[in-house]
Amino acid sequence: MEFLLFLLRRVLWSLLVLVGLSVVIFLIARAVPGDPARMALGPTATQEQVTDLRHKLGLDRPLITQYGLFVAALSHGDLGRSLLTERAVTDDIRESFAATLELVLATIFLALAAGLPLGIAAARWKDRWPDTASRLVAILGAVTPTFFLALLLQLLAGYVLHVLPTTGRLDPADPFHADITGLITLDSLLEGRFAVTLDALRHLLLPATALAAATMGQMARLTRASMLEVMSQDYIEAARAFGIPDWLRVLKYTLRPSFVAPLTILGLEFASMIGNAFVVELVFSWPGMAAYGIRTILQKDLNAVMGVVMVSGAFFVGVNLVIDLLVGLVDPRIRIRGARA
Amino acid sequence: MVRQALLHSAAAGILALAAFAAPRAEAETLVTMNTSQIFSTVDPSKISDYTDYMAAVNLYDGLVGVDYSGNLKPEIAASWDVSADAREVTFHLRPDAHFSDGTPVTAKDVVFTFDRLLKINQGPANLFAGVLKPGSVAAVDDHTVKFTLSKTFAPFLATVPAVFILNSKVVQANAGSDDGQTYLATRVAGAGGYLLKSWDRGSQMTIVRDPHYYGGWKAHPIDQVHWIIANDEATVKSLAASGELTMTSQFQAPETYEALAKMPRMKIAKQDTATAFYLKLDAQKAPTDDVHIRRAIACATDYDTIRSTILPGGELDGPLPKVFADYHANDLPKPKFDLQCAKDEVAKSKYAGKGDIPLVLQYVAGTKFEEDIALLMQSNLEQVGFKVTPQPDPWNRVTQLAAKVDTSPNVSEVFFGPTYPSPDSMFFTQYDSKAAGTWASLEWVNSPEIDGLIDKARATGDKAQQVAIYKELQHKLVDMQSDAFLETQTVRHAEDKCLSDYRAIPMQSFDYDFKLYSWNCN
Repeated sequence: MEFLLFLLRRVLWSLLVLVGLSVVIFLIARAVPGDPARMALGPTATQEQVTDLRHKLGLDRPLITQYGLFVAALSHGDLGRSLLTERAVTDDIRESFAATLELVLATIFLALAAGLPLGIAAARWKDRWPDTASRLVAILGAVTPTFFLALLLQLLAGYVLHVLPTTGRLDPADPFHADITGLITLDSLLEGRFAVTLDALRHLLLPATALAAATMGQMARLTRASMLEVMSQDYIEAARAFGIPDWLRVLKYTLRPSFVAPLTILGLEFASMIGNAFVVELVFSWPGMAAYGIRTILQKDLNAVMGVVMVSGAFFVGVNLVIDLLVGLVDPRIRIRGARA
Repeated sequence: MVRQALLHSAAAGILALAAFAAPRAEAETLVTMNTSQIFSTVDPSKISDYTDYMAAVNLYDGLVGVDYSGNLKPEIAASWDVSADAREVTFHLRPDAHFSDGTPVTAKDVVFTFDRLLKINQGPANLFAGVLKPGSVAAVDDHTVKFTLSKTFAPFLATVPAVFILNSKVVQANAGSDDGQTYLATRVAGAGGYLLKSWDRGSQMTIVRDPHYYGGWKAHPIDQVHWIIANDEATVKSLAASGELTMTSQFQAPETYEALAKMPRMKIAKQDTATAFYLKLDAQKAPTDDVHIRRAIACATDYDTIRSTILPGGELDGPLPKVFADYHANDLPKPKFDLQCAKDEVAKSKYAGKGDIPLVLQYVAGTKFEEDIALLMQSNLEQVGFKVTPQPDPWNRVTQLAAKVDTSPNVSEVFFGPTYPSPDSMFFTQYDSKAAGTWASLEWVNSPEIDGLIDKARATGDKAQQVAIYKELQHKLVDMQSDAFLETQTVRHAEDKCLSDYRAIPMQSFDYDFKLYSWNCN
């Protein structure tokens, strides 16, 4: 019961955050310079055409009315039409969000696959060469700017080695429509198109590596620090005294309680990458939502800007909620404290 | 031992990577080109910008096209007649013209296309405002269509290539509640030489040659065109180095062209275009409201440095580029960098003797060459009594500030090129008071005399008279120093040596019609 109350409170807070976000972004988007109708129609459009489009977009109405119309449409899942792409914003976001999600999932996988072992090795062999090597890799990953690494990888793979594709999600010679989940790797597997899966993975490797480096570094550092803290606990010493094998002591009794901080960071990174992946998306011509968002802001495509921000915001809030629940599962003490708060 | 293990691991890793990174197979006549912007739409009733036209001109055909000199050429229409008063234009369609699905193109499709364009009232519809209205286009028979203009509008024929003809059956069958806008936002219903193969708005578009194209194909045609949305210079270089890129966009940095020119398979193609680069001088706002101040700015402009070093380009003596050969006034004085002239003009102005004259010089933020020009102008102008404030603005702010004379800057660096192959496109959009309030008309000329001449040229079907009017317009605009005429844009592409036949066409991005290109290698 206490847990349900905790959950309900968190959900209500999340909704409140989203309402606040919608108001702020609604106002900011309209404060950005430029007339969206004029920008969409170009300099040769007549004033009558501009006025006509402003009317169709509802831009000639009071702000409060415009906001009311936006909320009313949003409640039906309608985000309006994009001036940039001439399509429903929901269609644009469905496609671009899937591309970004696939990239971010691959990124998280790489960050986890590299960061966790590095952190465990560093803690297990503290102050020995694995620790030094792990810390060096982690720090390099954390401090190297994403854009720099993206360009470096692209030049290395495309310019020097010619081994991996440097743009897009797939080879254009073999188009594939990911109609099931939007994730090409998953949909192609489900349809048995393994060549497409392999091609999609080849396209994913460079951008996901560029995006994963910083998170991998953070994961390794946090895992190491948390594990070292846990290792100093009496019960670990007791486990050693009872002769519990080294691997069991590290992976079960040390790693699990140490995983709260890295998991929280991973969740936050996962959510924020949805909106922050634009550098990598632009460098690798990845048709994701972050790059779409940047283009819509520059074009002052109001419906699309609102749509991108609301979807990113909802995703961020949702992931945080899930992380809170997961952390509770990993460490029951946090769940109980949260419920009582 | 450890070293040996590491070497083995590294070797295994490289082998695994090589297997994972199998090279891609490419078609022999696949042209891959990067573009700096996404393709927003290919709906002929909504396209308006350069990038959209780049795709549309390949996917659709118009009644008429445009050749390298800006003259009309037959496409779906084999010929056309203009009535004596230039109020009626009749097009005779090719009897063998057909859409990509094999349906013959008829006059009914032309009527449908123009009616839909006027109804939606976006994209190229502005070209026909006050000239065509619903019912103005009528089918005489299956292969003859007549346009009855509301008034004599001399540039009318030049505007027709901007409209691509739709397959009315397909669009009507998928009209939905928005006249097929949703359908045509992602699909094509045209008679062009290429078919849409795949399109991912954020990253790429691929089109393939239609072997049944009614217009036929020249020898060694391009079978497939693949556009990649990539404007990052490192991305472009790596794409070219890996052999993925056949042709760059025209918007790369000079160092990228230099790097690509060193690649054995690439060459640099250069073409002067009809796009002009101006310093637009606001004639309504102090201190540029004084013609002597505007002339001083023009005199303080170092044309040679800009044209040869900062942004290589061609000569521009007035508002109209030389590409419009018949209409260009060849007797215009050549702009000259002369600081003494600038000082003399300042002395003649009403602002002389009142201390440094403040001047706001706007350029597009993040554009290196525009920043260089702004700094050069600042340096020169401050030697002759100005206090210059360079003002970098993002493009959307440029468009907003241009809407009102109060917010427009004194001086703005702006490119403008014709949207249809007629001098009218250059004069009306930039200098007519009816078109004021956009980034293209930052001069705020607001002159009844100029408006009158533009209207007069529009109202006559006599070419000799038009030539005389347009030459007079050029002299008057140069005399009032509406702009400092920096240069005509020289486009550069790095392209594969096997690719040939890129030539500039003075209309939108019609020069990327890949039907005109050929591939000259086995």
